[in-house]
Amino acid sequence: MSLDVLERVAREAGGRIVAALAAYFRDLDIAEDAYGDACAKAVETWPEHGTPFDPAGWLYRAAQRKGIDALRRRRTRKRLMPEAPPPEPTAEQLMMEDAGEIPDERLRLIFVCCHPAVAPDARAALTLRLVCGLSTGEIARAFLVPEPTLAQRLVRAKRKIAEAGVPFEVPGREAWAGRLEAVLSTLEVAYAKAHEDAAGAGVHARYATEVLELTGVLAELVPTEPEVFALAAMVRYAEARRPARLDARGAMVPLSEQDPLLWRRALIEEGDVYLRRAWGPGPLGARTLQAAIHGTWCWRKSLAESAPWSQVLWLYDAMVEQRDDVVVRVNRAVALAEVEGAEVGLRELEGLDSRGVSGYLPYHALRAHLLRRCGRVAEALAAYDAALALDPGDAERKWLERRRAEVGVAIESGGGELR
Amino acid sequence: MKYALLIYDDERAYGVDKNGPAMQEIVAKHMVFGKELGAARLGGAGLKNTAAATTIRTVQGVKTVHDGPFAETKEQLGGFYLIEAADLDAAIAIAKKVPLVQDGSIEIRPVMGGA
Repeated sequence: MSLDVLERVAREAGGRIVAALAAYFRDLDIAEDAYGDACAKAVETWPEHGTPFDPAGWLYRAAQRKGIDALRRRRTRKRLMPEAPPPEPTAEQLMMEDAGEIPDERLRLIFVCCHPAVAPDARAALTLRLVCGLSTGEIARAFLVPEPTLAQRLVRAKRKIAEAGVPFEVPGREAWAGRLEAVLSTLEVAYAKAHEDAAGAGVHARYATEVLELTGVLAELVPTEPEVFALAAMVRYAEARRPARLDARGAMVPLSEQDPLLWRRALIEEGDVYLRRAWGPGPLGARTLQAAIHGTWCWRKSLAESAPWSQVLWLYDAMVEQRDDVVVRVNRAVALAEVEGAEVGLRELEGLDSRGVSGYLPYHALRAHLLRRCGRVAEALAAYDAALALDPGDAERKWLERRRAEVGVAIESGGGELR
Repeated sequence: MKYALLIYDDERAYGVDKNGPAMQEIVAKHMVFGKELGAARLGGAGLKNTAAATTIRTVQGVKTVHDGPFAETKEQLGGFYLIEAADLDAAIAIAKKVPLVQDGSIEIRPVMGGA
């Protein structure tokens, strides 16, 4: 029973505790080790003495003590001078004490993990490890790298932070420009991983809410930056749609076919508040436009209401001015095909052929749908095959296979209008 | 913490033997910068050009003397500062102010035992 409590507390408060420890000791290794030791101690003592009154506070306090011990041992080793250890508190003392509020140092820790002096490929992983408390194995699976590779990346990044003297501080306003972008893109990468898992049941499920919360914390701390609000809005809109993203068979449901009645209204309203704050008089950044696109979808009240394709196209037109990459272009082509027809959408896709789209699954999926709508059945089948060959996630694979099967049936029954 | 700021740029900009007009310009800038640093500057120097460099190479315990720098590169180590700074952010702020007359790089290296 008490171990269930430990597991829940570790999941809910682990990141906060490690962040507070890291800020306290200004050392990531000591913070992590001390937290691990405290958990081990909890496993040892809670079943026997009962669960403490404030389990998170207990863990924080116990870890602080372990960390101080470790620091003292380290210093003693260096100076070769024995120092008296602090008296070990009794189990009763430990049980009674209440650490009160554990300081929320997660933001400080995010800025450490996302420092420009940390290798870019390690930033998101380090943030997820230390701030969200994911295991190395979980992160390795989410990032599709072998676990030893990821573990080594984390070790290297932590060593760099310690040796180069990366400060455990939230940088001052004057440094926001460079530092904030690194933080925002790291949180974006982290959320994208959680979003890919449509069912929310896989290894990423745990940190979708963490990332959501972190963007809220960031918006509170940096109440002047539109891009911060935009990210906070975007993840809320995306997360709000989670209950509608899979059908009963576990296949993906495209955005325009999702039932808005299943979306989580409270999150959408939160997103609206952030989007209004991001939508300033100045030029709109790429993240603000992205959030607005998500918002535009989320304002649809039911499937009876027509899909907002023309507004979405307008926003993607503005987006291309800011960020003209393949991802934006393919998404724009979806809206373009709905507004101006499948042929126009296909022509737009053809224009992307030279831009390295062959490994980009949504390109092949969209191309397949548009070819099928144009009645080019054989080409559509080939395009579905190309998409399926790129190893889509479970939900997307089921959806693609179903659409592909529909085309196959159409051939057997002599073609006909497909939509 | 103590940090070394290593200055890399293309030494050809300073003329043969580093005595062109760009050299006078950069020396004047370093004088101003050094004053600005005050007590944070623990040491430092400009280096003569790589034509004056001699490298001792040790291969399998055998030491040989060579003319020239350790490596032929487009940008060369042209000088360094040794500074005291609270942390990496403070060191970065200082490194951004190190004068350059052209494109170049400042490498920030924590000094061993300088924490």
